[in-house]
Amino acid sequence: MKALGRAAVAVVAAGATIAGCAGGPGGGGAGEKVSDGKVVLAVLNDQSAVYADLSGKSSVEAVNMAVADYKAKYGDKAVAKEIEVLSADHQNKPEVANSKAQELYDRQKADLILDVPSSAAALAVAGVAKAKKRLFMDIGAATTALTGAQCNKYTFHYGYNTYMLAHGTGDTVTKDGAKNWYIVYPDYAFGQDMQKNFTAAVTGAGGKVIQSDPAPFPNDNFSTFLLKAPGLDPKPEVLGTMQAGGDLVNLVKQYNEYKLRDKGIGLAVGLMFITDIHSLGADALAGTKFTDAWYWNASPENRAWADKFQAKAGKRPSFPNAANYSAATQYLEAVQRAGTDDPDAIVKQLEGHSFEDAFAHNATIRAQDHLLLHDVYLAQVKPASEVTEPWDYEKILKTIPAAEAFQPTPDSACKL
Amino acid sequence: MILSRLAARPILLVAGLFLALVLPWMIYPPVAMDIACWALFACALDLLLGFTGLLSFGHAAFWGGGAYVAGLVAVHSGLPFPVAVLAGAAFAAVLAVPIGYLSVRLRGIYFAMVTLAFAQMVYFLVNQWRDLTGGENGLQGVPRELFGLDLSDSFVYYYVALPLVLAGFVAVWRIVRSPFGRVLMSIRDNTARAQALGYPVDRYKLLAFVLSACLSGLAGGLFAIGHGFASLESVYWTTSGQAVMMVVLGGIGTLWGGVLGAALVVELNDYLVTAGFEGIGIVTGTIFVLIVLVFRRGIWGTARHLLETRSGGRGASPGDRPPGGAPDGSPAPTEGVGSPV
Repeated sequence: MKALGRAAVAVVAAGATIAGCAGGPGGGGAGEKVSDGKVVLAVLNDQSAVYADLSGKSSVEAVNMAVADYKAKYGDKAVAKEIEVLSADHQNKPEVANSKAQELYDRQKADLILDVPSSAAALAVAGVAKAKKRLFMDIGAATTALTGAQCNKYTFHYGYNTYMLAHGTGDTVTKDGAKNWYIVYPDYAFGQDMQKNFTAAVTGAGGKVIQSDPAPFPNDNFSTFLLKAPGLDPKPEVLGTMQAGGDLVNLVKQYNEYKLRDKGIGLAVGLMFITDIHSLGADALAGTKFTDAWYWNASPENRAWADKFQAKAGKRPSFPNAANYSAATQYLEAVQRAGTDDPDAIVKQLEGHSFEDAFAHNATIRAQDHLLLHDVYLAQVKPASEVTEPWDYEKILKTIPAAEAFQPTPDSACKL
Repeated sequence: MILSRLAARPILLVAGLFLALVLPWMIYPPVAMDIACWALFACALDLLLGFTGLLSFGHAAFWGGGAYVAGLVAVHSGLPFPVAVLAGAAFAAVLAVPIGYLSVRLRGIYFAMVTLAFAQMVYFLVNQWRDLTGGENGLQGVPRELFGLDLSDSFVYYYVALPLVLAGFVAVWRIVRSPFGRVLMSIRDNTARAQALGYPVDRYKLLAFVLSACLSGLAGGLFAIGHGFASLESVYWTTSGQAVMMVVLGGIGTLWGGVLGAALVVELNDYLVTAGFEGIGIVTGTIFVLIVLVFRRGIWGTARHLLETRSGGRGASPGDRPPGGAPDGSPAPTEGVGSPV
């Protein structure tokens, strides 16, 4: 039934193409095979809850930009003549993500689902992508399980993960001289993953984790840990916190109240988005080091894209915004190269593909586990006095090359 | 009068059954499945809230417990999914024994708070026991297995799972109409008198609690198998809150009200998610506040009340009022949201 329907649509589409060719100046040419006559990109993310700020609707805008750029670049030669961008709000609920993903693939004929923050929702959608044999490029989730035990042929992980966050910061900060670490992490899967990766990175770089303490999640009082830090033996040079969101805000405020920086204990953060700095204010986080997958003001190219984004969305892009743009672009480019939107052909095009775009520099999509490898930044939050324009919060200390930023070898648990 | 009373119930039942059968043709099948599961959950909660007068704020523990156990059994044993789901329901019942034993001695808000506390303990356990439950990643990749049948299509799964859901509804209906159900209602209306009549009140309450939990676990298990995973969210307190909200919205102590409330909340949520409207909470919250302020009997309860007053009889109740026995004319003890608390 379904196959029949799709065949019928294909015939109609082919007919339309032929008619189009007969009328037009012969553009396009051989084998235009786009399912349902159009390419459908769907952004499924949090548009109403805690992650709405850092990606949400602004990422839909970014995907629209990717579509416009693709059309402008290829014009009549575009394989995907008609491109539709859909969006849905999963409210951070895995059940909603799961049903919506099914509906997007089945009913709304989505060829690609993008974004999907928070690990449970992302893994749920990966399961749907596998069952429906359609593409899914996750940006918003950090879990390495997407390219590990739960990986599959149709799922790509695009932008960042816990390894990259922990390794980037842990390794670099240790090599820069801060040998002794005290780690505080929220006691749930993300925090535990981060703690493990961080410890490995610090030890690997010749440093030492003096102690790591789990904190309840969520938590608003970190004084136990902050009071204890200066008294540890040997005294830690850095406090590494894996808290995120509201917990991070509380911890940083209390860190400032206890004046730990004046006591010689720096602060490194596991996961931070530019939107966090924006809401907390630069001074609250000044001096904090963290790994950022992308920063809008890191290079003239980044800035050029950020200007275009700002014209559309009215604010500077976060890295998930840029990553959504990039993922949509790379998908459309793959459609262009393959001459079709057939998922298997696209997967073949994407695997091992090396490229460069506004978001991803020196980028490769690793064929073995579908993880995007690209250059990332070690960033430091500027004090408010150095912030010269809105959203100008980060100083890039270092570019971490793609080869070092992510897991050097694919997880052996991943069987595509 | 008597004729119409007799006639009303089969018509409602047939209409309900018909709706259940055609639902996946009308709306997206996974959403239809969600409605069926939540409806059963709401009904099971109504058994406690509407018919025993106990507001449990911890039923997520049973819904989620059922979901996780059903998921674990399906993942690790590969048994047919009904076995997994029933295992989930059994687990929920067993879990309810100690929790219920300790909570039913309390009344009102204290009962609600203690059940909430127990549910949060379950949440904590599920979150921490990562090796088993996957922590906040959830328990992923739950298979849907039934003697080699291909259930990957949600449309097919709906019809295969529907008998289990209906069995759950029949169970609730039977419980409410049984002599046991009568005793529950007498406890709800006047605990002291029920005790004076010689009923072991706490034991009755405990059994009602366990039965309600068991059916919630059944619904949770079906939900987990339907989605292919169990998530941490299913044991979180918001899930308990959502079920209470469905019951209040539809009408406490009406059974049909829970079904209606579940359908409304799930469908509304699904609609708003796609509509790209950001304030989902504002919409559902406003509706909830309106219902509580203006239609305190809930949608179903209000409709029934209007019908009753219009027909002028002293409570010729076409709905789920138990026939005979109890004085039909007695004012509905479940009028307000506050009353069972």
